[in-house]
Amino acid sequence: MDFTRDILPLKNILFRTALRITMNREEAEDIVQDTLLKLWERRTEMSKVDSLEAFAISAARNLALDRIALHRNRVISLNEEIHDTEDNHPSVFDNIINNERQKHIHNLINQLPEKQRTAIQLRDIEGKTYKEIAVIMGISESDVKINIYRGRDFLKKNCKNL
Amino acid sequence: MNYDYIEQLIDRYFSCQTTLQEEQILRSFFNGNDVPGHLMQYAELFQYEDEAKQESLGSDFDERLLSIINKKERVVLNPQRRYVPFFRAAAIVAIVLTIGSAAEKALSDKSSHSVENTEINPYIRQADIQNTIKIKDVSQAEAKPQADSLTVQPAENKLQ
Repeated sequence: MDFTRDILPLKNILFRTALRITMNREEAEDIVQDTLLKLWERRTEMSKVDSLEAFAISAARNLALDRIALHRNRVISLNEEIHDTEDNHPSVFDNIINNERQKHIHNLINQLPEKQRTAIQLRDIEGKTYKEIAVIMGISESDVKINIYRGRDFLKKNCKNL
Repeated sequence: MNYDYIEQLIDRYFSCQTTLQEEQILRSFFNGNDVPGHLMQYAELFQYEDEAKQESLGSDFDERLLSIINKKERVVLNPQRRYVPFFRAAAIVAIVLTIGSAAEKALSDKSSHSVENTEINPYIRQADIQNTIKIKDVSQAEAKPQADSLTVQPAENKLQ
């Protein structure tokens, strides 16, 4: 297994997935770095994994969820608003999304619960099959569909209000 | 222009019945120029899905990660490298011993068997020397040659 050939190309999909969960670029970058280094350290085991990409996304998502949980605990201990860590980063995609209406879509997606958000990210942005998403998220295919259905439904209702 | 197909795809998209290919068709359609007014409300969503895929990490990230990995690899390799001089010395010793024993064997093959025998069984030689000395003694005083040879032989038996 070669780092530049087999592991490094995963960086962007991991970054987008982690960014969708943490909504913080620096944290997402940290998560990608940690995930890729761990994959490289365990490269002999990785040759036995069915899909390195699915494994990597799953690992990055778990790291991202851990970080969010850590933030939540800190925020609670400081008696602050729980959603302070989330949703207050409307400029995350600033360098890519310039259009105001697309920013609105961006914020709508980021308002979704994490499972719906991640499932929509993997399906509509990364183009993964329901089966692949089920493996990555560790849930059934029908649960994946339910999450995507609910997420798209929310987007449909709210993008009409633009 | 008839947008029935697109409208049907949109309906199926929101009820999770579209394939990945059909979803790509929708994105391509909404990124085109001929989106009618009544479908414009969905344009931003499908355009966003395409745009969001451009989000990526720069080459500075690659460089940083590769330097971390190179540092780690060096640390991992160090203990092995520390033994390299030892392995070299061991290899040299092994070569010297092999050549040495080969040379010894070759030389001993050439030399006479008598030399070999004296080396293997020094007591015989010692006895011979003693005998020759004794013989000289005998030649000087020929009175008791048999008694001398008898005193040597028990000593030989004891040693063997």
